[in-house]
Amino acid sequence: MLDTIMKSKLFGWIDERTGAEAIIKSQLTEYEVPKNLNYMWNFGSLALLVLVLQILTGIFLAMYYKPSAALTMGGYTVAFDSVERIMRDVNFGWLIRYMHAVGASAFFVVVYMHIGRGLYYGSYKGPRELLWIIGVVILLIMQGAAFFGYLLPWGQMSFWGATVITNLFGALPVIGGFLQEVLRGGFAVGDPTLNRFFSLHYLFPLLLAAIVGGHVHALHVVHSNNPTGLDVHAGKSTIPFHPYYTIKDAFGVGVFLLFYCYVVFFNPQMGGYFIEVDNYVPANNLQTPPHIAPVWYLTPWYTILRSFESKLLGVVAMGASLAILFLLPFLDRSKVRSARYRPVYRQMVYLFFVTVIILGYCGHSAPTPTLKLIGQITTAYYFAFFLLLPFVHKFEKTKPLPEEI
Amino acid sequence: MKLKQLLTVACMSLALALPFGVQANEGGVALKHAEVDASSHEQINRGLTVFTEVCMGCHSAKYVTYKGLLDYPEIGLTREAVDELRGDRPITSGLITDLSPEDATVSYGKVPPDLSLIVNARRGGANYVYSILTGFEKDPEGKILDGNFNEYFPGHRIAMPDPLGWLDHDEADTAELEAQANDVAAFLTFIGDPHQNERHAIGKYVMIFLILLTIVLYLLKKEVWKDVKH
Ligand code: HEC
Ligand code: HEM
Repeated sequence: MLDTIMKSKLFGWIDERTGAEAIIKSQLTEYEVPKNLNYMWNFGSLALLVLVLQILTGIFLAMYYKPSAALTMGGYTVAFDSVERIMRDVNFGWLIRYMHAVGASAFFVVVYMHIGRGLYYGSYKGPRELLWIIGVVILLIMQGAAFFGYLLPWGQMSFWGATVITNLFGALPVIGGFLQEVLRGGFAVGDPTLNRFFSLHYLFPLLLAAIVGGHVHALHVVHSNNPTGLDVHAGKSTIPFHPYYTIKDAFGVGVFLLFYCYVVFFNPQMGGYFIEVDNYVPANNLQTPPHIAPVWYLTPWYTILRSFESKLLGVVAMGASLAILFLLPFLDRSKVRSARYRPVYRQMVYLFFVTVIILGYCGHSAPTPTLKLIGQITTAYYFAFFLLLPFVHKFEKTKPLPEEI
Repeated sequence: MKLKQLLTVACMSLALALPFGVQANEGGVALKHAEVDASSHEQINRGLTVFTEVCMGCHSAKYVTYKGLLDYPEIGLTREAVDELRGDRPITSGLITDLSPEDATVSYGKVPPDLSLIVNARRGGANYVYSILTGFEKDPEGKILDGNFNEYFPGHRIAMPDPLGWLDHDEADTAELEAQANDVAAFLTFIGDPHQNERHAIGKYVMIFLILLTIVLYLLKKEVWKDVKH
């Protein structure tokens, strides 16, 4: 099909003026990809899909949404009312809103799988260091976008989540107070906060789109890693992206949509994980909910924060737990990429995945002394994983690598 | 990871995540089970009657309009019935109680919450509402006045006076009161998300379409990849 399009007159006209044919060739039909990629490599294209879905549904939401914390009847606000209007009165507004709210969670599921893939197969190692670093920037901006978005419905969790998180900035020395005030647009979370968060919530995904462009560009310069971690050379171990990976990614999209649409149509709150129960209660600055927890995708970092007695230390640790991701390519000195051939690293990285899940569980639950201890132990391992990496290659006996993939 | 492994993990996590979270309410007491069918025209309409005749004495449901009572196929009141209900209120008005917040504070010490989203806003949802309505008991410790003790309310001291008259009711009325509690819980479940039935109905077609699409894409993938040895 692509062939016929590229032979058309119109395409020729465009090509003379844009070099479209060269782009399509270098990026699709002659872009070489290892032929042994497994299904873990589908999550990149899925992340792109979800980003597009979020931007499209978001733009439609923004046509009806009103960022105002002015009170309305019954303790609600203009913002909360506008979301309910979308849910009840706007044609298919419920669909757009559920797609957006579920999409935020789906985005993190997909991106966490994508990052886990990179960790396991050593995709962060040279020559893909910058590709990895751009990926971490994407993660941070995503977390920002989701955090800003979560304030918009102006429910109890929106309000108290934003209060707790903006409070953190206040714990920083010297600039803390200033930073907190700038974020909130005042001394407490209120109408000005809602307005600036809405503005930033619109901005961040667009930033994201630009940076994702850089991510894909960086990928196409260094090409995909593969499950063996071996360098591959164009020819017998690679195949062109199109049609092989276009169709495989399309199949992945089908499978993803099955899960996504199941949740959107049959279980959009996902038992309080995707839209929290307390967020159906309008924000009330006089009534702190019994248990404040961020949405599931931010809970691992929340646990790291809570694992320290001193608020400042907690904030620093949380920042460090994200910042250390940037250093990963330089911490790991092993020559072998894939965990398949690295028995020690393999155990370490599996334990790391389990650790992050436990951290997430602890952050989601109401704090108890046992959970606190578990949180502290897992926090310790979270950092130990990275700090041990510079030494692992010294004693790790890697398995023999195959000649070709 | 192989496709099969990946799918197994995905299905398992979905299945595991679903039952969690919604079950226990804040107080940690096991809730009673409500018999609620939020797609049943009859039950929702019976619940609407309980709501307008009892609950609306104190509570509003501001996101539900009189026009909605006319338009939602699950309710589908006639124009005459709606006109009788709304009196001289505009048809676009929500179901708003005549009790002013000031009077409520004087009488009950609290403003009764709007019930439009109560099922979504409480852990346990419809079960919680049903349990509250049928949870007025005598305080076993004798501290809280009769009528203010509720087995299922967090902290047990509730400002709502037993609306269905559950405490001290005759044995013979139990079934009738339980039915009222179920019906109003069904109505509240419906209005918490009035497009839920439409959503489920459309969702079925979406899923069938996606299953077919995914099968076709899988076969295409196999066809395109058949010559690749890997
Ligand atoms: C006489 C006034 C009155 C009537 C009638 C009444 N309620 Fe209430 N209701 C209240 C008050 C006051 C509260 C606040 C209770 C509190 O927070 O302690 C309340 C609270 C509630 C709550 C919330 C409990 C919570 O978790 O915060 C529910 C659910 C509820 N009512 C349901 C109903 C239903 C259903 C009916 C109709 C069958 C009804 N009420 C009739 C006064 C009333
Ligand atoms: C990176 C992509 C995005 C993510 C992760 C994201 C995340 C979120 C989240 C978590 C919410 C709260 C959902 C809820 O509980 O209701 C939300 C709401 C909202 N978002 Fe986004 N969003 C993204 C992109 C966008 C874009 C591009 C727009 C366009 C302007 C947008 C507009 C809105 C609006 C208007 C709301 C409020 C309505 C509502 O709460 O449902 N979003 N977003």
